Amino acid sequence: MAVHALLIDTVRCTGCRGCQVACKQWNKRAAEKTEFFGGPGYQNPADLSKDTWCLVTYNEVRIGDRFEWVFGKKQCMHCLIPGCASACPVGALEKLDSGPVVYHKDKCIGCRYCMLACPFVVPRFEYDSWNPYITKCTMCYDRLQMGEIPACAKTCPTGSVTFGERDALIREAKERIASNPSEYHHHIYGLEEAGGTCVLHISNVPFEELGYITDVPKRPIAARTELAMKSIPAVMVGLAVVLGASYRLRTRAQLRGEDAERPSGTT
Amino acid sequence: MEISRRSFLAATGGTGGSALLGFLGLDLRPSVAYASQAVPKRGKIFTTICPYCGVGCGLIVEVRDGTVVNIEGDPDHPINEGSLCSKGASLYQIHHNDRRLRTVGYRKPGSDQWETLSWDTAMKMIAERVKKTRDETWLEKDDRGRTVNRADGIACLGGAALDTEECYLLVKAMRTMGLVWIEHQARICHSSTVASLASSFGRGAMTNHWIDMINSDVLMIMGSNAAETHPIAARWIQRAKERGAVVLSADPRYTRTSSFADHYCKFRSGTDIAFVGGFINYALQNDRVNHEYIRHCTNATFIINPEFGFEAGLFTGYDESQRGYDKSTWAYELDENGVPKRDPSMQHPRCVFQLLKKHFARYDVEAVCSITGTPQEDYRKACDVYTSTWSSDRVATWLYAMGTTQHTHATQNIRSYVILQLLLGNVGVAGGGINALRGESNVQGSTDMALLFHILPGYLKTPQAKHGSLAEHLAAFTPKSNDSMSANWWQHYPKYMVSLLKAFWGDHATKDNDFCYDYLGRITGNLSHIAMFEAMYADRIKGLFCFGQNPAVGGPNANKEREALGKLDWLVVTDLWETDTSVFWRRPGVDPSKIKTEVFLLPAAASMEKEGNVVNSGRWAQWRYKAAAAPGEAMTDAWVLTRLVKELKELYAQQGGKQPEAITNLYWEYGQDSDEHGEPNMHMVAAEVNGYYMSGPDKGKQITNFTKLTDDGSTCSGNWLYCGDYVDRSDGKGKELGEGGHLTEVTHFGKTFKTINRMAKRFKEDPAEVPEGRCVGLHPDWTWCWPINRRILYNRASVDRDGQPWDAHRWVIRWNPTLKDGKGGWEGDIPDGGWPPLAKADGTLNPSSKYPFIMRPEGVACLFASALADGPFPEHYEPLESPLKNPMSPQQNDPAIVIWEPDMVGDPAEFPVVATTFRVCEHWQAGAMTRNTPWLVELMPDVFVEMSVDLAVRNGVKTGDWVRVTSKRGSMKARALVTNRFEPFFIGGKLVDQIGIPWHWGYNGLATGDSANVLTPHVGDANTMIPEYKAFLCRVEKEEVA
Repeated sequence: MAVHALLIDTVRCTGCRGCQVACKQWNKRAAEKTEFFGGPGYQNPADLSKDTWCLVTYNEVRIGDRFEWVFGKKQCMHCLIPGCASACPVGALEKLDSGPVVYHKDKCIGCRYCMLACPFVVPRFEYDSWNPYITKCTMCYDRLQMGEIPACAKTCPTGSVTFGERDALIREAKERIASNPSEYHHHIYGLEEAGGTCVLHISNVPFEELGYITDVPKRPIAARTELAMKSIPAVMVGLAVVLGASYRLRTRAQLRGEDAERPSGTT
Repeated sequence: MEISRRSFLAATGGTGGSALLGFLGLDLRPSVAYASQAVPKRGKIFTTICPYCGVGCGLIVEVRDGTVVNIEGDPDHPINEGSLCSKGASLYQIHHNDRRLRTVGYRKPGSDQWETLSWDTAMKMIAERVKKTRDETWLEKDDRGRTVNRADGIACLGGAALDTEECYLLVKAMRTMGLVWIEHQARICHSSTVASLASSFGRGAMTNHWIDMINSDVLMIMGSNAAETHPIAARWIQRAKERGAVVLSADPRYTRTSSFADHYCKFRSGTDIAFVGGFINYALQNDRVNHEYIRHCTNATFIINPEFGFEAGLFTGYDESQRGYDKSTWAYELDENGVPKRDPSMQHPRCVFQLLKKHFARYDVEAVCSITGTPQEDYRKACDVYTSTWSSDRVATWLYAMGTTQHTHATQNIRSYVILQLLLGNVGVAGGGINALRGESNVQGSTDMALLFHILPGYLKTPQAKHGSLAEHLAAFTPKSNDSMSANWWQHYPKYMVSLLKAFWGDHATKDNDFCYDYLGRITGNLSHIAMFEAMYADRIKGLFCFGQNPAVGGPNANKEREALGKLDWLVVTDLWETDTSVFWRRPGVDPSKIKTEVFLLPAAASMEKEGNVVNSGRWAQWRYKAAAAPGEAMTDAWVLTRLVKELKELYAQQGGKQPEAITNLYWEYGQDSDEHGEPNMHMVAAEVNGYYMSGPDKGKQITNFTKLTDDGSTCSGNWLYCGDYVDRSDGKGKELGEGGHLTEVTHFGKTFKTINRMAKRFKEDPAEVPEGRCVGLHPDWTWCWPINRRILYNRASVDRDGQPWDAHRWVIRWNPTLKDGKGGWEGDIPDGGWPPLAKADGTLNPSSKYPFIMRPEGVACLFASALADGPFPEHYEPLESPLKNPMSPQQNDPAIVIWEPDMVGDPAEFPVVATTFRVCEHWQAGAMTRNTPWLVELMPDVFVEMSVDLAVRNGVKTGDWVRVTSKRGSMKARALVTNRFEPFFIGGKLVDQIGIPWHWGYNGLATGDSANVLTPHVGDANTMIPEYKAFLCRVEKEEVA
């Protein structure tokens, strides 16, 4: 089955943030309280959060005498071999063959290993909830099941965010760079990072300039998490009491059907 | 329109979709184990149109169990194809929002709070106040003793966010009451566009349309930040780029549009004419002129009166005491038949082409850049790229918005675009034109419906005091041409005027009573937005209606306008929100007990909560549907107007008063009496706007085309331009009769007729997509556009004398001699009139043809436009407030502007920094909608000021610091955003700083902040009084205490 991905092209982005709001709309995420701007330019909020799974960044970049205002996009990279999923002791995070890394909240025990394991610092925890979950972009897995594309890709006015088969998008990215070599920085971010991801970025400036994490190893993170995973049984015993209580609460909530109508991307 | 889930999914698959589903090839079965409960069931889908900017994006509203559960882009809509910007994507929170008004609010004089009223009580109270004020302030004669019969003490503002049918009802109700103070957003956003384009081409609208941008080779975005304020424009600009187009951005700030462009030029605010004058000169000096085009489509060959001249910054005829011109010398020289003389060689020293060349010779690159502050290298490159489109096989478009239109010389700014585009042969063709990007979802419709003091629906003229009868009015406004080749379309004015009066007063309007012409209040002088607030400030206006407009934030010199509101006896605000205007009495720094204005705040239905059409910037009238009920007791604006009319009819029938017949005889039958809530049927209104036969064998039948309208009272039409959008279906043909939401029925004179609502059509095929390379994107069967579904205005200028397109690879229309049994006919878009091409087969002029610009009496477009107040050619003048002396002439400012407050002009020594206001993607206009939408507030919660690093360092300011910006009018606080995107200008050896402030904020709402418009001056354009929002002086200081 073909692996699907998102291609993000900063050259086409106008920074309108349709994607950021469409993500909130579809996934019914609350607005955050912000003040002025949370980062360079018009960026808001300051970072990804439990309610912000997609974030546009604004970067003033000067290279020689060339000035560019370049808009980046932060979100889950949907790694081919995701560190978060391999770190999860209960299989709450799962890599699907079709591309998305999805989250099963009914399985989550709230250990937050996924957060530590993610090289892109993506998963967030609902710290302010007494019944917290992990949250992150799901690649709109629920929309994919309906034959629709992710909300961010659908809403993007200029085709800066496109969705499709990963192989085809890689070809497309290479073609864009090759047909306009002076415009593009010659690198596809996500082609090899962390062993390859299902979110690919191309840009007119080096990715450091956009604040992207560029010291990510090319080897999958999963390979590094084995050591940590070995200690899990011992940790689990210690956590059992606390987490058991939390688990029960959540299960009860589900039995009451509280979340049944929630059309979010979490399964 | 309701579509089933099945067809919705099919629709989704239809667009990017059909490709998409195959492309995806998603087989999700292996994952279904985890997803057994996860596929949400889809609800009912309704289509709608975005209520924000003028792009007119389609959306689908998904309703489950009567509740809106999801709103996203309509994948079938040809303009946005499912995409949306941040504002469009947030519409869900317009419907689901705790801050929406749900009950009628009433504020007693001197009170500091709202009370709740029932609709019944409120509407009765409002009607009583309207009657009292109307009768008390009724003006029968003006100061010269001429009959004016008008309600001088009541004003009405707003309407650009209403549906077109509601705008029609609004103008009908207000004109019937005798109001002349009728204004709305169009005055302060694009009035200069209408004046400029109408005096040049004959119509005031955007010439082309959104999708057409894909056909351009060069796109100049100047005076517009399209990527932010019309984000879906970028979709088509992007596609043009993929075809190899070059995008130019000219702006004082490096914006999100500049980032998207290939080449950027900075320039100082208010120097647009110098900037474009240089382009014109570059084209003329380098002979980058499409000679055949200008000879055949413009007045370049016309000879001008020998007395005409230009010296020291003034055209002939200037009278300083009047601050105006005697324009008698700005005229064509006529031959013995009264037809303008021409020199086809364009060598005559007094022909327009030579005069133009002489006028703009002064605008060389050095002179221009010394005014604008643009680096010469950047500027030359822009000139070169843009003027490269002079040849027939290349085309450029000019996109602009408020950065152009809101200046003291705004009309002339646009005139400079007109001249440039005509010289290059870029008007009427695909991928060309002058594209006024309109900023409200229905500001085109509201302008067409004439919510402006000086016009009536369809750009007819408001009666003036000097015309005492209908005959005098018609004689004054029906232009004549002695040139048989000129279609002079406005010769039909009387038919449109009489049909309008019939629509207003029905059978009461007869030939014997001048079709009730006397019921319309007659105007004297200028009654535009600034004048209205000056009159309010001077206690001349006692009552004000505000329909979805928020002048406390959006008006110039906002402090003064807020104070003026306090002088009203009563104010009626109809809105979705508690706007800043509606709570002006509790704004910071005022004591509510001292404000005696009675305020009614009426809760209105939002765009997806009612039915009707909105007209986008490309003149597409798009029908939208009611998806869900409005919250609480909120009602449509149409209902409010209907109820008000009902109350007034009763009051005047019982008690009499001033000119009661105008009200009691008013025709207002839209099925409201048979609706359980008294809601008028928008189909009935649309049918009246289109028009129907009032007598004769077809009595009651919808009229199919405005050529059928008459001046004898046998037809009615609420707006002749819209005649053709809601037509009889009994003789319809082809796929119009296919299934769809556009098949309807209406009832006139007790008889029901089958009709087609063309505005609801959704046939997406684009016949343009043929292998011959015809311009793409016309989509003639998707909705309907005025006039008579012509998608590109002035398209007869896209062909040569033989009727063949200048560019065969992107043709709009062309003459095909084999059509109609060898008689020949046009194919492609609906041509500007069906006459044959100008030349016969032997090359001689065909006397049965007409010149291409049918709305102008000359028949051609005007390089030289004598209708304007401040000159037939544009000339650079400095803004009223400028740090520099005008280097071009001793005439510092536009000589024909009205200066309302000479003591309110800032001195550059005290206010050295140039300031401009601007808009952002995330907020909309005066902010009531977006500052109450949590997702958008998250993105931009606070007002800020953009400034250069240089200016910030000199003032000890860092990003995030509070700064105070002060002008002669007022002072505001904002957070500093220090950026490399703003650079100071070096002009004449002098450093000139500029700052920019978004103007969306006010004191009320979820997000609040100071309004930039407390800084802007009460000064307007010489032609339309559009306020100067974009260039004024201020000073910037660090504010120590937050």
